[in-house]
Amino acid sequence: MAENIETASYDALVIGAGIAGGEAALNLANNGFKVLLVEKDLSIGGKMILLSKVFPTLDCSACITTPKVSEISRHPGIKIFTGTEVKKIQKKSENNFEAIVVKAPRYVIEEDCTGCQLCEQACPVVVRDQYQYNLVGRKAAFIPFSIASPRVAAIDIENCTLCGACEKVCPTKCIDFTMEAVEHHVNIGTVIVATGFRLFDPLKIPRYGYGLYKNVLTSMEMERQLAPTRPFNTVLRPGDGKVPDKLAYVLCTGSRDATVGNPICSQICCMYSIKQAQLLMGALPMADVTIYYLNIRSFGKGFEEFYEQAKGMGVNFVKGKIGKITEKENGNLILRYEDINESVVKESEHDMVILSVGVMPNPDAGGFFGEGELKLDPFSFVHQTDLLGSPPETSIRGVFVAGTASGPMDIPDSILSAGAASSEAISYLNRKQ
Amino acid sequence: MNKKLGVYICHCGGNISDYVDVEKVREAVRDEEGVCLAKTTMFACSDASQKEMIEDIRQNNLDGMVVASCSPKLHLVTFRAVSERAELNKYNYVHANIREQVSWAHSDDKAGATEKAIGIVKSAIAKVRLAEALNPIKIHSEKAVAVIGGGVAGLRAAIELSNMGSPVTLIEREHFVGGRVSQWDVMFTTNQTGKELVTRLYNDLISRDNVTLLTGAEVISNTGSIGDFTLKVKITPRYIRARCDEGYLQKAIDVCPVVVPDEFNFNITNRKAIYHNFPSEYPQYPVIDIKNCTRCGECEKVCGIIDFSQKEEIVEIRVGSVLMATGFDPYTPYPGEFGYHQFEEVITLPQFKRLTELNYKKLIYKGKEIKNIAYIYCVGSRQIEGEVHTVASADDLSKDTGSNQIEGENRYCSRYCCTSVIHTSIDAKRKFGNISNFHFTRGIRTYGKQELLYAESLRLGDIYLQSYENDPPLVYRENGRTHVKINDILTGRREISVTADLVVLVTGMVPRADNSVATLFKLPKGRDNFFNEIHMKLRPVETVIDGITICGACQGPKNITESMNSALSAATKTFSYVSKGEIELEPIIAEVDKELCKWCGECQKACPFDAVKMETSEGKEIAVINNSVCKGCGMCLPVCPVNAIDLIAFSDNEIESMINALVS
Repeated sequence: MAENIETASYDALVIGAGIAGGEAALNLANNGFKVLLVEKDLSIGGKMILLSKVFPTLDCSACITTPKVSEISRHPGIKIFTGTEVKKIQKKSENNFEAIVVKAPRYVIEEDCTGCQLCEQACPVVVRDQYQYNLVGRKAAFIPFSIASPRVAAIDIENCTLCGACEKVCPTKCIDFTMEAVEHHVNIGTVIVATGFRLFDPLKIPRYGYGLYKNVLTSMEMERQLAPTRPFNTVLRPGDGKVPDKLAYVLCTGSRDATVGNPICSQICCMYSIKQAQLLMGALPMADVTIYYLNIRSFGKGFEEFYEQAKGMGVNFVKGKIGKITEKENGNLILRYEDINESVVKESEHDMVILSVGVMPNPDAGGFFGEGELKLDPFSFVHQTDLLGSPPETSIRGVFVAGTASGPMDIPDSILSAGAASSEAISYLNRKQ
Repeated sequence: MNKKLGVYICHCGGNISDYVDVEKVREAVRDEEGVCLAKTTMFACSDASQKEMIEDIRQNNLDGMVVASCSPKLHLVTFRAVSERAELNKYNYVHANIREQVSWAHSDDKAGATEKAIGIVKSAIAKVRLAEALNPIKIHSEKAVAVIGGGVAGLRAAIELSNMGSPVTLIEREHFVGGRVSQWDVMFTTNQTGKELVTRLYNDLISRDNVTLLTGAEVISNTGSIGDFTLKVKITPRYIRARCDEGYLQKAIDVCPVVVPDEFNFNITNRKAIYHNFPSEYPQYPVIDIKNCTRCGECEKVCGIIDFSQKEEIVEIRVGSVLMATGFDPYTPYPGEFGYHQFEEVITLPQFKRLTELNYKKLIYKGKEIKNIAYIYCVGSRQIEGEVHTVASADDLSKDTGSNQIEGENRYCSRYCCTSVIHTSIDAKRKFGNISNFHFTRGIRTYGKQELLYAESLRLGDIYLQSYENDPPLVYRENGRTHVKINDILTGRREISVTADLVVLVTGMVPRADNSVATLFKLPKGRDNFFNEIHMKLRPVETVIDGITICGACQGPKNITESMNSALSAATKTFSYVSKGEIELEPIIAEVDKELCKWCGECQKACPFDAVKMETSEGKEIAVINNSVCKGCGMCLPVCPVNAIDLIAFSDNEIESMINALVS
């Protein structure tokens, strides 16, 4: 690896190219700073680029994200590394950080790939497509998704059989199996941590039967079924391909639940579930949609009105916690729950159940710096040291946090948080001069 | 000249192509005059499509481009930028909306939608044939900025702008800074007090050379536009010359014979006509409330810094951009709403917060010690349509309503109140001991990590009850005591009644009652009457008035962290307007034909932006348009009796050709 080291200097390192990291990078670059934007995934855009529509305006998410992504990727002040992880960051002095980032081999020369997809057609290996949340398959030589940026192929080397079919068809000869990881040593003046969140893993609640019953989905799987680039072009039960007509949402799956170690509220699930329910009413006009909730938390601008709108459209809201889900022979699901309104335990049958999974911290952030340097809160989100005075500040001067890396928040709040982080970063960089 | 045109029709990933046959649209327009390239695309706005367009423009030497996709509100700027990058003047790009105006509007009629889309694309092609290359209007921009509102959001934004290098004038209407937060004691989650936070921000602010702080100051007029606003600010004197010794000041306060309700404490206490809200309030000069002062002169005798000769002042400032941080008002319940102004034990959350701060050891209100407290949530928030409050006494009504039935119009959730009241109730329990809290809720909304506070409250033994919107709790008197009754859905709709020493109405946030400053700037408001941003996600701190940004609770309910984030974001945006010293404006403005114009003044009357002036040119009175103020709205065009005004890029010729293309 020693020969694969490159060095460079930037004003700022932004870690994570989701909507928060992207917004922060753009703000910095628009103010004349040089930014290195590092993304672990193969495309920038984070989770937002994969969503269907966004609450409460019902804007098409891709339509809002793609131009931003395009602006980020062509900005002369921003260098983007995808497929890249931060190995170590060391603070030498104020305005002087040294970071080591490792770019994993993509096995495709990005500059030469035209995105023609011939390699995809030639590849004989089919695996589950993580960008469609495993609803459909993809090849081992693949373009992550149609609106990915960069929209170039990658080789999934773990599943690749090295048959060479892709190499043969590639018109620009851009597939290179000899590619190796490259370590970049970069000097930077400030760091923005925008590592985002992970979704709660519903396997941790076995009584809900996720992974066991085919018609129990996560909300992100439903999000993909409703997205413009959806796999089936309609909503289908994964179990038998039937169009569902009695759907249930289970709110607070993995949130507000000390038994799974996450007592806090995820802040977005009520709203995205209400949004999906509204979209389902449009996609499947005859379907019944029931949302089982503890409290509906529609607290943001226009959110309460959005909730009222869903009620008006006929979405059924039931106050009650789901205790257990069981499967019938025909794939339908029986939900056992306490109907708090009537103070009785009830059972109801649905043909599709969506678990509204919550927001979990991304544990990566803690590992970038020396042991304990970047303090985390009790839940492993990045700790904000001056929450009321300067929300982006962290335990390291010159390192700022943006978006859901510091805790659950929705898209508008993430964008404002990113604006704040870039603002603080600019002030920090200016103080040097 | 025959233009070479490129046309792109977007699927929008199904948003359009599910209802419009985009291939049929392509076929229908590809042979239109001038069209040398017509393509369909999955997402026209995606990076890959943008690159393809640039290549097409360059390879085919296109002179004009049309993208038929979503609303121009979303992507006009995107595709103009594409044509610029391909060295095609961006005004040779025309946007056709076949999503909001076609596919979404006619999802029940695919054939009709396709036909309409064809018409719209054809008319865009007709327009682009006549389009001319234009250059943006460049104007000089002042580097200085004004921040209106000296609450925590305004203070934070001013500090950040100063950091970035803009001279800042912070204009605060009150005589003291800190806004609502200075009225708060300990706060979630840090248990820092509001006063500590304000102190820190104030000290940071006044240590800066490039910041001017005006208190007792109100903007009374605004002229100009982005890059060059001229604000007239009226400054009310304090009638105090200098900072003074606390002892002398206290004497002056003691001798003042005037006693008025103290608004800072929401009228639960009284103050004198010479006052400060609390010792060490910033700036640390007291003030004389001249409206209530009787000029008896007693204070002058004991304190030498008083100066009744001070006069109201009007100052003029010129700035390139204005940041609005005017904050909120707490909702004021109607007399009789949950017993407010009807039973003396009923107070609001802001009053309760002042009460807990001002009391020590024991919680006393109106001479009685408080033990049982009932909190009624969502007062003035989440009001449902048709929810009517009967006002206690007809005399209490403002005259313009004319009825004693009032329907609340605040549909929104005020976001901060659940956390705020739970934190205050825990604080009261800790501070005074021996307190029982009963929460009459509509469902607790302690979102995010604030959930921990709710859990703590439950551990401390607070009782939570809940009702639905249409069955609110009832406050009533019985046997000389005040009670709150609820049909509690958490215990199977059991009727539960609590005897309360104090009833706290958890009132939400409403827009400022006196919002005249918004009228001066013509700021748009949303359905909730708070100021509206352009786009919640794409442009969250900008307004449709160029050069004006908004942040904090004037935009909608926010907690302090959220206000700070928006303040910092708005500061960066404001700075980006002025930092280059030059601003580019749209050249799509009205144009007067000097020959035809006979100055009748109709256009001046019609202009909502004061962009039209009368001038004498070659001995003739004519209308002249101020290029930096005109927004190209077109209001002046139809009122001109001699048709002397045209709108650049929307000339009669262009519009007629579009109509012809639509009907052909």
